[in-house]
Amino acid sequence: MNPAIPLANSLHRATADALRRQAPFSTMAEHELLWLVQHLSVSYFPHDAVLLEPVANPPEVLFIIKQGTVTGATAAGQTVLQLAAGEMFPLGALLAGRGAANRYLASTDTFCYLLPAADFHALLAKSTEFNDFCTRRIASLLEESQRAVQSEYALALDDESRFARPLASLIRRPPLSVAAATPLADALAAMETARVGSVVVTDAADQPIGILTLKDVLARVTLAKVPLVTAISAVMTPDPATLPAEAPVADALVMMARQGIHHIPLVEAGRLAGVVSEKDIFALRRLSVDGITSAIMRCADTVRLPALAHDIGDLAHSLLAQGMDAENLTAIISSLNDRLTERIITLESRADAALTGLHWCWLALGSEGRMEQTLATDQDNALIFDAADDVQRDALLAFALRVNNRLDACGFPLCKGGVMASNPKWCLPAAGWQQQFSQWIDHGSPEALLNASIFFDFRPLAGDAALALDLRAWLNRTASKNPRFLHQLAGNALRNRPPLGVVRDFVLSEDDAHPHTLDLKLNGATPFVDAARIFALAAGSPQTNTAKRLRAAAQALNLPDNELADWNRGFHFLQLLRLRHQHGQQRAGQPPDNHLDPDTLNPLDRRILKEALRQARKVQARLAMDYGL
Amino acid sequence: MIWPFGKRALPGLDPASRARRAALSRQKTNLRQPLSTMRWCVVDIETGGLDAQHDPLLAIGAVAIEQGSIVFSPSFEVGLAQPHATKAANILIHGISGSEQRAGQAPHEALLAWLEFAQGAPRVAFHAAFDQAVLQREVRTRLGPLAGAPWFDAAVVAPLLFPDVAPHCSHLDDWLAHFGITVYARHGALADAFATAELWLVLLQAAQREDIRTAHQLLQLTRSRRWLSAD
Repeated sequence: MNPAIPLANSLHRATADALRRQAPFSTMAEHELLWLVQHLSVSYFPHDAVLLEPVANPPEVLFIIKQGTVTGATAAGQTVLQLAAGEMFPLGALLAGRGAANRYLASTDTFCYLLPAADFHALLAKSTEFNDFCTRRIASLLEESQRAVQSEYALALDDESRFARPLASLIRRPPLSVAAATPLADALAAMETARVGSVVVTDAADQPIGILTLKDVLARVTLAKVPLVTAISAVMTPDPATLPAEAPVADALVMMARQGIHHIPLVEAGRLAGVVSEKDIFALRRLSVDGITSAIMRCADTVRLPALAHDIGDLAHSLLAQGMDAENLTAIISSLNDRLTERIITLESRADAALTGLHWCWLALGSEGRMEQTLATDQDNALIFDAADDVQRDALLAFALRVNNRLDACGFPLCKGGVMASNPKWCLPAAGWQQQFSQWIDHGSPEALLNASIFFDFRPLAGDAALALDLRAWLNRTASKNPRFLHQLAGNALRNRPPLGVVRDFVLSEDDAHPHTLDLKLNGATPFVDAARIFALAAGSPQTNTAKRLRAAAQALNLPDNELADWNRGFHFLQLLRLRHQHGQQRAGQPPDNHLDPDTLNPLDRRILKEALRQARKVQARLAMDYGL
Repeated sequence: MIWPFGKRALPGLDPASRARRAALSRQKTNLRQPLSTMRWCVVDIETGGLDAQHDPLLAIGAVAIEQGSIVFSPSFEVGLAQPHATKAANILIHGISGSEQRAGQAPHEALLAWLEFAQGAPRVAFHAAFDQAVLQREVRTRLGPLAGAPWFDAAVVAPLLFPDVAPHCSHLDDWLAHFGITVYARHGALADAFATAELWLVLLQAAQREDIRTAHQLLQLTRSRRWLSAD
């Protein structure tokens, strides 16, 4: 028997087993868990009983809900959280040794495990899993979830594996083969004509007896100064490794890796059927950021761009499958979409003589302006120009319309609200933009605030960036001098509450179009985005990206690093859920949206979602505090 | 063997057990403390049958309620060594196999440990009369006469506090189901004692709502109601 395991009776073991269904107990060592159980007691709280009052003294016990539900409410009586079996509170107060901030009420008849504060701290010291969970609660939950996502997708990838298909499916052209006596000069010329990197030497029965690759030529022919009249058989690699054409792609990968070769002749009934190169195999994985970027930059014809836009989507799906985090993934999607848009703009403006001599800048707005695009993105863009007469302005609008339509063809639907550069309202000279922005800042009507939330995230995408940067500098000066406007923006942002439920975990939509769902964008990500915008405007920060805005604002807000990190993790988890949700819809052939049924999540993701929404509440609470709302 | 205790015919106990037994007689029960701070001992037993006078005691499980909370450690679980394994029929109910039965503690030690765990706390059980009768019988024969603590029967208290529910509830399972109390492993003595203790927490809350402040008042209530219903 392990001496570290305390003497445990059947009740201790059964309780440990029950606790083990939840994080962090699921990963704690047996002896740590039994130690915990042996320091617990169980109390009963009938419906409406108060478990904990917000008082100055640090709490005496940690509560772990055994069965039932507990709500936490602010001193003002506003319900801020809903906790279910397996969840613990008040972690923050216990860790910080301060009074609990909320009043905790049993919202049903509830049994709780109680762990005395001293034992809680002893367990923190004893168990790294427990410590990690409590101190980096959202972080550790996220990691667990991330692992689950990766293994899920890894399985899915194995299923449809590209590497299980037969090598024959990669054969693009008849193989280039020559007889053993062929002079090198002829063989190399044939390779050049066929634009291939290898030539197979075959016998009279068309069986491969040797291979010569361009790489071999350098060492064995050029540097060795072998005359080109020499027969190829003198320098070829004899008895090359071959594979049957019906072998799976994976076999070729393994063989190439083991033998350090780049070309494999394929045989069918003993006869040469084709050659696969490493390049053919990796063409299957041609979806790389660099690959797509250079394909876009090389593309000379807008007709070919929609296919590349499709590749961006495929790459995003595959990166998602590989477990890339949302912050990097949304940044990659946005930057590839930027390249695509830039390319469209270049191709459309270059050919347009009416634009010569004009200074203009294409502005990305909304999620693209923030570099936070998901898989479901419609267009939000505008145009700023220096000076133009009516004819030139019409030329700019016509150009913008062509770009908007090209983008539409690439899968970025036209903006239903008309927030596009081809709309005369949003194709303005610098002075016009300043006038428009001033009007919104002074006016503060709901429409003005809504527009501010789209337009104030603008970012130069193509053209003369200085125009946009000047406008940004002007806007930041103006907005930070207008506390009334920021106050209105904050008030408006706070009207959109994260949908944490009072009765159930989440408040779900009753809207017929999307019953029993929550809107991950509007009610999840937007509270972060709105708050970050206000923090940035108040601080005069030029950032438009939400995470960067929050980071830039942290110092001004005197926000501890770990809280900032939790905010950003919360935000990015919501973004990740949006991406995964949209990915699933696209795979099922449905148009992507943001309406998620939380019942489709696994229990872990549900809990993280709750935690992420709780972080959204915290960001809003900070905003409310700063603006006295 | 010569008994050192004059007239009282005590079972033959080793000196250590005799000292433990002597310490037990100093335990006191005070039923006039507030219900919320009262220490309770909730117990369940397993026997070789349903005859309280003759069937052997196989196991005792108990938990204490202190300051309104069920304490996990110490909690009490002991099997009593049996001279012969009991009939197969009952093994089906309790799930204690013959070898487990024989492997238990010596009965007098198990009972001493039980009384030391319970201390002077009032005992609580569901259908307490049976547990009380078996435990008192065993204590009397193994340890000799000892003053016991008062017993409370959750099966009597529950209908008094929840008369509306009572017609639908007769077994412990019914009450547990009514209050949504989940049990890890029913029919283990300790698991059943723990489930009964959870029920008792619910009943204590209800009693305080009815302005019953002490265990003494609760005991009076059960006695008067029993008398009334017997009338």
